[in-house]
Amino acid sequence: MNAARPSLDRNFLNRFGILIALITLALVLSVTTDSFASASNLTNVARQVSINGILAVAVTFVLLTGGVDLSLGSVVALSGVVCALFAHPGEYPLVVPISMGLITGALCGLLNGVLVTWGGIAPFIVTLGMMTMARGLALIFSSGKPVADMTPALTNLAGDLGPVPIPVLCFAVVALLAWLFLGRFRLGRHLYAVGGNEQAARAAGVSVTKVKLFAYGICGLLTGLAGVVLAARITTGQPNAGQAYELDAIAAVVIGGTSLSGGVGSIRGTILGVLLIGIINNGLDLQGVSSYYQAVIKGLIIVGAVWLDRRQSRS
Amino acid sequence: MRPTPRLAIGSMLAALTIFSLFLPGCKKPAERKEGEILIGFSSRDLSAEYTAKLSEAIVEYAKTKPGVKLVMVDAQSDVQKQFSQVENFVAQKVDAIILNPCELEASTPAVDYVKAAKIPLVLVNQVTKSAGDSYIGSNDFEAGRIAMEAIAKKLNGQGGVLMIHGIMGTSAQLQREAGAREVFAKYPGLKLIDQQTASWDRAKAMALTENWIQAHKGKFQAVFAHNDEMAMGALLALERAGIKKDVTVIGIDAIAQALTAVKEGRLDATVFQDAVGQGRGSVDAALLLARKQPCPKENLIPFQLVTLENLSSFLK
Amino acid sequence: MLRACQLTKTFGGLSVLQEASIDFHPGEVHALMGENGAGKSTLLKMLAGLYQPNGGSIEWRGQSVRFQSPHDALSQGIAMVHQELMPIPDLNVAENLLLGMEPVNALGWVDRAELHRQAQSWLKQLNTDLDTHQPMRRLSVAQIQVVEIAKALARQADVILMDEPTAALSNHEVTALFSAINTLRQRGVAVVYTTHKMDEVFRLADRISVLRDGQLVCTKAAIEFSPESLIAHMVGRELAQVFPPITTTPGDVILEVRGLTREPSFRDISFTLRRGEVLGLAGLMGAGRTEVVSAVFGLTPATSGEILLQGVPTRITCPAEAIAAGIGMVTEDRKGLGIVPAMSVGHNLTLAALPQFSRSALLDAAAERCATQTATTDFAIKASSPQQAIRELSGGNQQKVLLARALLNRPAILILDEPTRGIDIGAKAEIYALIGRLSAQGTAVLLVSSELPEILSLTHRILVLRQGKLSAELDPRQTNQEEILRHAMPQ
Repeated sequence: MNAARPSLDRNFLNRFGILIALITLALVLSVTTDSFASASNLTNVARQVSINGILAVAVTFVLLTGGVDLSLGSVVALSGVVCALFAHPGEYPLVVPISMGLITGALCGLLNGVLVTWGGIAPFIVTLGMMTMARGLALIFSSGKPVADMTPALTNLAGDLGPVPIPVLCFAVVALLAWLFLGRFRLGRHLYAVGGNEQAARAAGVSVTKVKLFAYGICGLLTGLAGVVLAARITTGQPNAGQAYELDAIAAVVIGGTSLSGGVGSIRGTILGVLLIGIINNGLDLQGVSSYYQAVIKGLIIVGAVWLDRRQSRS
Repeated sequence: MRPTPRLAIGSMLAALTIFSLFLPGCKKPAERKEGEILIGFSSRDLSAEYTAKLSEAIVEYAKTKPGVKLVMVDAQSDVQKQFSQVENFVAQKVDAIILNPCELEASTPAVDYVKAAKIPLVLVNQVTKSAGDSYIGSNDFEAGRIAMEAIAKKLNGQGGVLMIHGIMGTSAQLQREAGAREVFAKYPGLKLIDQQTASWDRAKAMALTENWIQAHKGKFQAVFAHNDEMAMGALLALERAGIKKDVTVIGIDAIAQALTAVKEGRLDATVFQDAVGQGRGSVDAALLLARKQPCPKENLIPFQLVTLENLSSFLK
Repeated sequence: MLRACQLTKTFGGLSVLQEASIDFHPGEVHALMGENGAGKSTLLKMLAGLYQPNGGSIEWRGQSVRFQSPHDALSQGIAMVHQELMPIPDLNVAENLLLGMEPVNALGWVDRAELHRQAQSWLKQLNTDLDTHQPMRRLSVAQIQVVEIAKALARQADVILMDEPTAALSNHEVTALFSAINTLRQRGVAVVYTTHKMDEVFRLADRISVLRDGQLVCTKAAIEFSPESLIAHMVGRELAQVFPPITTTPGDVILEVRGLTREPSFRDISFTLRRGEVLGLAGLMGAGRTEVVSAVFGLTPATSGEILLQGVPTRITCPAEAIAAGIGMVTEDRKGLGIVPAMSVGHNLTLAALPQFSRSALLDAAAERCATQTATTDFAIKASSPQQAIRELSGGNQQKVLLARALLNRPAILILDEPTRGIDIGAKAEIYALIGRLSAQGTAVLLVSSELPEILSLTHRILVLRQGKLSAELDPRQTNQEEILRHAMPQ
């Protein structure tokens, strides 16, 4: 069988292309820098990718339905600010600021979902509007100033639990649940069906509206979580935090093989994409590459990774 | 398809616009009273703490002046947005404009535009390539030098230093770096181990410092951040790594959180930039220019190093 | 002037036109007749340069030519007026008419006065007098068609091809269009057009070519045909022996539809369906068959009328409700409304029946695998594995997956809309056998098909739709294709 070999190789590359890129990059960095492969640096990388990781998982849900969410960064800022406002020492128990942040994110996401489904407006436009609105609300709620004076109980959430940083734990739990959900739950399957062929999914009895509302809602909720984690990490609710975070998150998801037109993608791929971007950032800093070159290199790697991926899946 | 109900949409938007006038924080478009002096003020970014303090000082001080009305807008670090805000001021024929420019180069066209319209212009806290009628600010070169001198003194002229830059190409970044470089030249024992931008942003400075701790652990004894936001980020990263006691951290601006951190003995020092002084100076200059009275071309408000010893005079 | 020589076209191994040779003459209106899928549109599209022939050639003024694109054909003087018209709705009539050839003044600007003067003169040649300043979106379909014809004239077309130009027109509009076509004939333009409408062929055409199953049956002067002989030529095939005998006797009424209406697709449709009955729905393209069954399944709900399931009035507003009520459907549009291309065969199969394969909200992968195994064996689905993406399967196998999907829910009523379109004869026979089995098990089947032999052989009863209304109810044992077509043809 002559035909079998190349197709086997292609499948192999398809499945593991990004993983190979990731391992190669890690190997190169281990050799060229002293510190990359150390346990403390790897923890460090994990901690730094956790926020982008949570956001990438969040936006995977929306991208799978064939939509997009441009409001991630702004909603991160808004939920961070709301969380910080309820987190002054001695005011409320810890659960209040956390749930306020989560609820804020979920509400923003649900509003996106409602406008996309019942409003019939394109996701690009809806979430572009939300991006501006959420940023504005963050500035209003914070009077334009960083909300400081947060209770240590909350800022400790950015610390460690044993050897593992808590943000990394959050990311891991979120990723695990999302993976289970997409692979094992009925609604997860419906998500793929709606993204793959919305009309056919409807004809097969799938409630497209419910599925999309859910996707945007979950995306918002997880974005709220990222906002809380970020606020804990930088010990303030910054109304101007999270600028362009959505682009890093979407880039990670797309690098991980999720199609921007929906229906194709996986949490596993998203995690690999997040790690790739995180290791690039960390590696460039370790190498002492100047900021100007960092920007160029990052852009090239993102476009290159996706180009390779698409070229393989097309052939 | 039905034709688009343009009229309905139009009236809806109009209603929204009118409604928005009644929202808190929204100023009505300037109604001019006879003989009132109207000043337009475009702030660089109200979400940055120092700029917010400066802007508040300007607004508050203008309120104390009878017969003066000041309209403030926020450019959110967006050069284009600031340009259109300035165009709006010119269209409203304000008596003077106070501009807190976003950038050294990119904001220059806005300055030229105002000068062409022959409206008095006061630049505050950031210069541009073209000069305004008056500049109120502090010499960022001085700030960089003061902060770096403090580090040199603390390390006795020996040791490794990391420098976190502001957004590359802004005048504050360029000047603060130049000031610090002068100190490096003076002390051959001081080594610049690494430098990188964190774009004035706390989260970015924190991630950067974490990476540096991995790359250069034990090789640096001080971090100089171009502003306090980034100094706070570096501080958090060092504290989480448990090595703050070995590293001196100094920032610039003396924002409230930085002062608190100095008080708690976490941050070693910051450099006080006199927001209130700058704010008052710029309003005074704008009024002089609006009344066609002579006004100095430049008014530099001095910087001061804030440490635990002299902290009390800066805390309100 | 224009001659098709042994033109052949195949799509993915399926031959849609075989060695058709026809001459077209200036000043002549030439009609192409045939059933759905006979190859009329394909022939037109090859002449217009939209399709490239797989065999044979096109001769134009005595020279063999190859048109790579519609633009090529147009530059030679062959223009096509499409079935789906494509004007730019927000430009006005004159701008649409002279798109790409606007008169310009010395400065290179469009000379608006001249633009409208030219547009009006073209329209006048067709004896119409439209306001060239109004935007295209305000025009009726017939008016748009006239503008499209004028557009072809303005581009010096010597041959104008029209694919079902009267399909969407009212009688009044048809008259206006015909007068325009007559003008073209007088000007020496060759007009080639396709239609289903018997009466208008005899009013308009000089010559008629009949196509059947991708083959040219004959070309004769219109006066040599009678309506009966024309229909016989169009149908003229033997019933194949692949159909299983229908032996079941229908039971109680399970579905009743009363006065179902959704303007402008269909109105006042009433019928009943019994357990174990196979009810055929026949009609021409655009008669509203798909729309009626889509309304029953909730894909595009009717605006008025009633659906009764076992005598109980039931509201069906979306497919999910239909499925819950025990209705299954295999849609005509396999790509658009059937498969989820990137999903695997297994996941496509279970998509409509996931509650069967889950405990609470959690999916039971083992049960899914088991069902997929059973279905691939029962339906002889040829896939390399259940994990293979469904878009990689052949049309027939995709169709079998979709049938299996609809049947997983064990529907009491199964709607099949053109279940055998575009699939090979082997798969067709399997689907026919399946319909027989289902009927024997008591499932009520509503079968929409354009293939009259299918309808005649598989069903207990036949309903014929004409222009959105029921025109006849026939007994397949006492009728024939000619009678069905007579009821289906617009009067």
